[in-house]
Amino acid sequence: MHEYSIACEIFEQVIATAKAHEALEVRHVILEIGRLAHTNPEQLSFCFKAIAEGSIAENAEFIVEMIPPSLECECGYTGTVDETQIGKDDDLRSELLEYIVALECPVCGKNARITGGRELIIKSIDIETEIEKLTSMQANI
Amino acid sequence: MLMHVIHMGHDVFKANDKIAEKNRKTLDKHGVFSVNVMGAIGSGKTTLIEEAVRHLKDKYKPAVIAGDVIAEMDASRFRKLGVPTIPVNTGKECHLDAKLVEKALDEIDLDNTDLLIIENVGNLICPVDFKLGEHLRVVVVSVTEGDDIILKHPMIFKTSELAIINKVDIAHAVDVDAEKMREDILSLNPDIPVILTSKHDWESLETWISFIELGLRRAQEAQRK
Repeated sequence: MHEYSIACEIFEQVIATAKAHEALEVRHVILEIGRLAHTNPEQLSFCFKAIAEGSIAENAEFIVEMIPPSLECECGYTGTVDETQIGKDDDLRSELLEYIVALECPVCGKNARITGGRELIIKSIDIETEIEKLTSMQANI
Repeated sequence: MLMHVIHMGHDVFKANDKIAEKNRKTLDKHGVFSVNVMGAIGSGKTTLIEEAVRHLKDKYKPAVIAGDVIAEMDASRFRKLGVPTIPVNTGKECHLDAKLVEKALDEIDLDNTDLLIIENVGNLICPVDFKLGEHLRVVVVSVTEGDDIILKHPMIFKTSELAIINKVDIAHAVDVDAEKMREDILSLNPDIPVILTSKHDWESLETWISFIELGLRRAQEAQRK
């Protein structure tokens, strides 16, 4: 379990970016997590909440987009894993294992090189600044 | 509710990869061949490294980074062999990362080192996502972990460059088929060399050690070019 240290890193990056943009509050943190990365989004969100308590990101909601693995094969094929195949094999109950089994080249069947699907990216954050706060207050009058 | 979207595009693992690349350059500059030994708690990582160091220390100049939640115990085993050893306590962390290795490299006399063995924290999951800058990624698994251990941890076998199945001398006692383990590894990663080892079988240890030596020699040749 290393979600805590990853959450720390995310928190630092998010706060630094938010402050640089004079944020009063961070509303959303949008993450992209590769299917092959050993990171659990729920644990990550839980750790982030604990770390962010009392900060401008304490109510931030995590929005996680899962990225399927992408492949590069010596036959020249590049592309992502066919996600419709995942969950079809009843014998394989681990999703991670199913993705790994699917890492064969769909064209020639050889074991392809993994080029994506292991990342953990802070894609963007939604923030509220003084301007947005004032505008929404005016709209409410 | 009005909001303001700030694009970041910050990849947490890439940040680690960048430091790993820097470590790799530092090692290459000094002609040091490095091995990252990963594997579960009790798989025999420390023993396999001890055997390699004992056998190679007169011929080469090895150093060891011992990573553990409490690293001092393993580190003292390596120090007894008379080789420079840097313990890296990870505290609560379940893996070594490139930053920790970067700091440890500062404490090693790299001009007087040609082989660096890094013992990762006992874990088959977390070390996978954290490159250290190593030249060779080794995963050690022992028969005592059960013969379904490999398919339960596919990514570490998929991303390693050498796999060791250890303690094969007691496979029968724990009702495990080491050959099935080998097949499982090859089904995940058909190109990976797999070595079956036992600390009581010198020949098997020699295969593991010769693997390190091969890498060392290749690195030295590359350095000369």
